[in-house]
Amino acid sequence: MYFLDLLVFIGIFGMMSLSLNLEYGFAGLANFGKVAFFLVGAYTYALMAELGIPFIFCLLGGAGMAAVFGFLISLPALRLRADYMAIVALTFGEILRLIIKTEDWIAGGDWGTSVAPAISIAGASAQLNIFINIVLVYACLAACFIVAQLVTNSPYGRSMRAIREDEVAAEAMGKNRARFKAQIFMLGSAMAGLAGGLYAQYLHYVLPGMFMPMVTFTIWIMVLMGGPANNWGVLLGACIVEVFDRGANIAKDFLTLPTDPSNLQYILFGVLIMVVLLYRPQGLLKESPIKTKAIERVRGISNAIRNRES
Amino acid sequence: MPVRSRAVANETRFTLLSVAGVCCIEDIIIGFIAELRSFDEWILVYMDVNWAQVLFNGVVTASLYLIAAVGLTLTYGLSGFPNFAYAEYIALGAFTGYFVSDRLGLGMPAAFIVAFLFVGAVGLACCRGIFQTLSKRGATLIHLMVASIALGLILRHMIPALGDIIPVLGWKWAPSYFSTSWDAFDYGPLRVTGLWLWTIIVALFLAFTMHLVLTRTRIGKAIRATASNPELALASGISVDRITWITWFVGAGFAAIAGIFRAADTQIWPMTGWEMILPIFAVVILGGIGNFYGAIVAAFIVGFAENIGVVLLTAVGLPTSYRIGIAFIILIITLIVKPQGLAMLFRRS
Repeated sequence: MYFLDLLVFIGIFGMMSLSLNLEYGFAGLANFGKVAFFLVGAYTYALMAELGIPFIFCLLGGAGMAAVFGFLISLPALRLRADYMAIVALTFGEILRLIIKTEDWIAGGDWGTSVAPAISIAGASAQLNIFINIVLVYACLAACFIVAQLVTNSPYGRSMRAIREDEVAAEAMGKNRARFKAQIFMLGSAMAGLAGGLYAQYLHYVLPGMFMPMVTFTIWIMVLMGGPANNWGVLLGACIVEVFDRGANIAKDFLTLPTDPSNLQYILFGVLIMVVLLYRPQGLLKESPIKTKAIERVRGISNAIRNRES
Repeated sequence: MPVRSRAVANETRFTLLSVAGVCCIEDIIIGFIAELRSFDEWILVYMDVNWAQVLFNGVVTASLYLIAAVGLTLTYGLSGFPNFAYAEYIALGAFTGYFVSDRLGLGMPAAFIVAFLFVGAVGLACCRGIFQTLSKRGATLIHLMVASIALGLILRHMIPALGDIIPVLGWKWAPSYFSTSWDAFDYGPLRVTGLWLWTIIVALFLAFTMHLVLTRTRIGKAIRATASNPELALASGISVDRITWITWFVGAGFAAIAGIFRAADTQIWPMTGWEMILPIFAVVILGGIGNFYGAIVAAFIVGFAENIGVVLLTAVGLPTSYRIGIAFIILIITLIVKPQGLAMLFRRS
């Protein structure tokens, strides 16, 4: 049961880290407000589900709404340096949470609101419900993964990497960086919104306290640890961080510590980021090399030349 | 017969329409009068507001933001990345001050001095141990920002953890308060507390000293030189590392002082700094990153905007918790209109 719950969380946060990987890993956009789009997805799902709309449309609505917000936040981001962008995104998430918290009429303010589960079968056991959730979450995760792989291993993905490495050079090659960045932001935010919707329906409620900046940092740890610009890597990162999180949660029931264990958990997370940044900034799995026919052929020729010389 | 009835029908429709139209116009006029009346009330609300107090509060807020933003803008300009852990320097300063003044009973002046030195040392250690090490290993701007967030996370949760391990400190997550009470006295329509006066005095003193240091002393000139061009500064014999350390030490120290002022005015808890970080970033960016004089002007703009904005929010009927949104709006407008901020006002030829 505990393990199945863990699987659902890995699935949801795997989607979040895939979306951050698209933005940061491939396109080099530092989005420190990831939680804002998660929040938009979750609340859109909650509000639409209240109207009795089928869950598929609620999920899509959440994703679409998050994409709209992603487009809005990309407007100032297009002309700004990464540090300005980080400040804007970080504060945007906080302001959004403040609005949700203050405006009681949207969704219960600070106390939140309850959300109906996506698929409810009358008389189903808790185990079966989690199992249904796993199927749903992993179907969405698979869809996101396929989209991410297709996008990043295409000419479009190579343009993204080009913009990440050198914006001016990419622009000189005729890539419209403003449009690329806006599109990436929208795609990434849509994925985050989808994950938010799944999260809301799995937990059966939404409240502002669930969307603290800590969520953003958790996703950043997953991406940095697993390996930016490697879709398998960030999924691995999501697994490791979630297992670590759960492990710490279990451990604190058995250990008697002189202090509140949740503080230690946050400190450990911080130390974990530091260690990754200091000793393995490229992450556990390195960036996947670009595979195209042209590159294969060039490599083949160069190997042949080397063989002949030796 | 049918023609006539159609005519009648037309006529009735016309009268109905015109009646409806008149009604509409009347509605609009009545509505407008109602609007006017509410506008009248609006003005009344304005007359009720103690504007002298609002402006004075603006000066106090501006002074606090000035003290808090100077360190951030200098380190940001020098090292080239926003240090998000700066919020935790503020909180750490508040807690250190609380320990010295209330737990040890040494009084407020000692609290300010010890907090300045201790948090300054923490800032210096973070700079040398984490940020410079990362830079030397070729970390990108984004890596440095992530590291600063991680550092903030560690420091913020270190405070209650340390408090649990060493109970003497009295550091905990739940809010605590300084026991020092400040006399409030009325000066005409103004209500003033000693704490607010001290905030203004310290801010003025700080602005004046920093001005002298930056323009008259070797260190100040070296700081400015390093911020504008590190390679050239290094080539002309300035020890860039040492200048960076001094700036980080002093910057973190200023954060600590701002933290004590803020905490004495409200409460002490680990989020003391995080609550303030958004207006501080607004000040830094509006003033132009690394620009000390820009930061002074920007602190006053943000301080006044917040206090006048709260009056407006109440008049419109919005909750005052949106106060922090005003700083956000200033931030966004600056970034869209002029990302380099007010720096161009203070550029010497």
